Amino acid sequence: MKQTKKVLVIALALAMAAAAFGGCSSGSGSEASKEASSASSAQTEASGSEELTDGDRIIAAAKEGKVGNWGLGNEYEILALLTKYEQEPKYLSQSFDMDGFDDGSITLASAMTYNELGLVKNSYEGGYGYGENIGIIDMNNEGVAMLEDNLFCTKEFAKANPNTVKAFVYASMQGWKYACEHPDEAAQIVYEAGSSVSSDHQAYMASEVKKLVETDTKGAAVTEYGKMDEEAMQQTLDLAKKYISLDDKTAADKLQTLTLDDIRDTSFLSSEKDFGTPEKTDVKIQLKWLPQCQFMGYYVAKAKGYYDEVGLNVDIISGGGDIGETTAVNNGTVDFGVTWVSNLISADAGGMDLVEVAQVFQRSGLVLVYKK
Amino acid sequence: MRKLKCILTSKPFVTLCWIILLIVIWEIFASVVAQTKRTPENVMPHLSGIIESVFSDKKINGSQTVLEMVLENAAATLSRAGIGYLIGIVLGFVLALLMSLSGVIEKIAFPYLMLIQLIPILGMAPIINAITGDIAVSRIVIAAILTFYPVATNTIAGFKAIEPAKHELMYSYAANKFQIYTKTMIPFCIPYFFTGLKISAPMAITASILVDTLQGGIGLGCLLSQSLKGAMTRYVFWDIVFFSALIGILSFYLMGVIENLLCRYKRAGGSGKKE
Amino acid sequence: MKKTKLGRNRERIETIVYPVMFGILIMVLWQTGLLHKLLHTDDYILPYPDKIINIITDNSDKIMVNVWASVEVALCGLLLGSVIGYLIAIIASAFPTYGAGGLTIVSAFNAIPIVALAPVIINWTKDVSTVAEERSMVAKILVVTVTSMAAMSVNAYRGLTELPQFSDDLMKTYAAGRLTEFVKLRLPNSLPYIFTALRVSVPGSVIGALVSEYFAEYIIGVGRQIRENILIAQYATAWAYIIVACLIGILMYVLLMIVEAIFLRKRR
Repeated sequence: MKQTKKVLVIALALAMAAAAFGGCSSGSGSEASKEASSASSAQTEASGSEELTDGDRIIAAAKEGKVGNWGLGNEYEILALLTKYEQEPKYLSQSFDMDGFDDGSITLASAMTYNELGLVKNSYEGGYGYGENIGIIDMNNEGVAMLEDNLFCTKEFAKANPNTVKAFVYASMQGWKYACEHPDEAAQIVYEAGSSVSSDHQAYMASEVKKLVETDTKGAAVTEYGKMDEEAMQQTLDLAKKYISLDDKTAADKLQTLTLDDIRDTSFLSSEKDFGTPEKTDVKIQLKWLPQCQFMGYYVAKAKGYYDEVGLNVDIISGGGDIGETTAVNNGTVDFGVTWVSNLISADAGGMDLVEVAQVFQRSGLVLVYKK
Repeated sequence: MRKLKCILTSKPFVTLCWIILLIVIWEIFASVVAQTKRTPENVMPHLSGIIESVFSDKKINGSQTVLEMVLENAAATLSRAGIGYLIGIVLGFVLALLMSLSGVIEKIAFPYLMLIQLIPILGMAPIINAITGDIAVSRIVIAAILTFYPVATNTIAGFKAIEPAKHELMYSYAANKFQIYTKTMIPFCIPYFFTGLKISAPMAITASILVDTLQGGIGLGCLLSQSLKGAMTRYVFWDIVFFSALIGILSFYLMGVIENLLCRYKRAGGSGKKE
Repeated sequence: MKKTKLGRNRERIETIVYPVMFGILIMVLWQTGLLHKLLHTDDYILPYPDKIINIITDNSDKIMVNVWASVEVALCGLLLGSVIGYLIAIIASAFPTYGAGGLTIVSAFNAIPIVALAPVIINWTKDVSTVAEERSMVAKILVVTVTSMAAMSVNAYRGLTELPQFSDDLMKTYAAGRLTEFVKLRLPNSLPYIFTALRVSVPGSVIGALVSEYFAEYIIGVGRQIRENILIAQYATAWAYIIVACLIGILMYVLLMIVEAIFLRKRR
């Protein structure tokens, strides 16, 4: 009697647990193998039909609903690209790892050249090691590039503290210059400043970010760090007006009326040290993302004492949370921010009063990556 | 034989059995995952891998190992959770007291008290941040808001459950309101109050992890979201998941221990307790 | 007699009128901008109510699509979680020594932060379907299931085991079988406890649905809209969705109260 009871207990417990967990990962074994086989068949298909054009790939992935992007304000270039190829502007929400690309649930995955692309290609820690077995579709070549990382503050702050802004922009650009000249050293500085990304990946990132800072959307070299290229800015604004959809009617109307002069001010950018004593000396800058070489210029400027030289005491705050850099700058918890131009445009449309004071990345770093 | 049965049915042994069972199931699935996925650590790593990551002395950023990093961030999060928790407790108790003192306050506050738990607090967080102007303060405020509700409702339940006989007795002693409260009402509602504390302790911790993810800086939630975003080894994520679950459970029991220490007297029956 | 009835009516009116008056007061303070001064904030972070209402009415179609997606997740998860939780409680009450230990484990799931749980479950359900919409749905429902399971199992277990002393004895004197005892005694006894559990898990399921939408692959739902709009700094729109989310929660809670009143009145 006691024996049977015990057996029953164990059997029941097993059944219970199996029910609980089975639900969570139902048949991960069999389905996964099925998927693996379908993936391999897809691969042979692709190699059989020879060279697909980028357009073909985009259309095919869009039809299947397998174009990925992170959304949350990062998606406008993808929407523009899909519209260019007359596809429905819809995408899958991609998580921040590349597992979806790896397991085939996303065939055209968004990647930043300096971050995700490196993880896909390389085989250092956290990498997927695809090497040369992948291809990319570059937004710059497709003509849908929107400018990304910039440096901004509120108009109010810029008006009240012009010398601080000038000094900060000047020192930061010095930092960027040094970082681009010595990417390996910059990577080491960022790594030591508390980055948790492996130092190998940091070095890769530094070399890729250097390209974005020193080349424009057309592939020409840029020598002036932080330059606000009229044409690229205008293209960004035009695309933003087309693809940022806002539910708030007043904001949507305001978006359409924005001009370049509303969103950027070139008067703070200068390669000369032509400013007076900073009005505010303790300033904070919030980054758009986690501490990594995407922002190496600021870390280098701090580590090399460029900020001290112009009399600023700078605190670098990493981002990546739900309180966006635009919000943090707007409500005064930080003084400067790094964001994408498109995000600044939508924030200004929504009623914030932000202004770009330098454009760090001269071309789009967004690519769509696919398996060859 | 009887002794054996005694051991087999003892509480620690039962819990142990369950834990072993869970581990076995986890390992079975982890093995399946390890064979079918290219990045098993993103889906379900072996427990041995998780434990190994805790004790590994490999530095994952410039200066810290996984354990040092998790502990440093945990200290920040837990201290914020603790402060928020204390504020929430005080507010919850004071509100419950006010509500029991005044019918008007009770009527006004009660529906809104229910409303608080229906507000998606993550959505409110940037707004709270804008109001407080400092991310650390808003993290504490949010932990307080989430703690406050269970404490208040349970304490009110305690005030309401007091037997009228006791009340009448105090009246017959011609006790004033202050005496009634200090001598009968408050001692009586203490067990209910602690029920609220027990429920809200894990809540305060999970809440502060949740609000950590809102902005960078130091904290378990920041670390968790960074790990999820591929900024560091995924094992950090798993370490935090298990660590936070453990702390949550421990905080529940800690409140139980404090309750036992504070009120040696046994309360009559377990009935009005809500969980 | 009449007087007490009158008194009770008055009481009832007061319970409704006072909170409503308080609500109106807040709204007035809000619309006139006094609230902004009190909280040291601006009408950008805290937009005026009329603006929020305009957004809701302007986008009612889009909002309803998102509302249904969230409600579906919350309700399915709640139902599934409650049923599983109750079954666990039944099994646990049938095998008290091992069952109670199992319950501790189940309630331990509650201590895992939902922000950690959601991405894990989304990863685990990657292979459920090749259609992103379906597998996201499954993942979101499972998150809500896990969060509402614990409350139900713990409470239902108490309802199934904490019986009035005499009734248990009565059943024994009738020599009732376990099934009869269960149907006639334990099940009805657990009814109020079920509602206690639901009072916790109904709001929990809404929050769970919103948070799981943050991480889901397929982009839909009120929670996702809140997050998107906050990130692209559209606070007025985010507020519109926050208000909608609150309304979903309130409606589900009121519905629960009504159901509870009907069921528990029958019992008396």
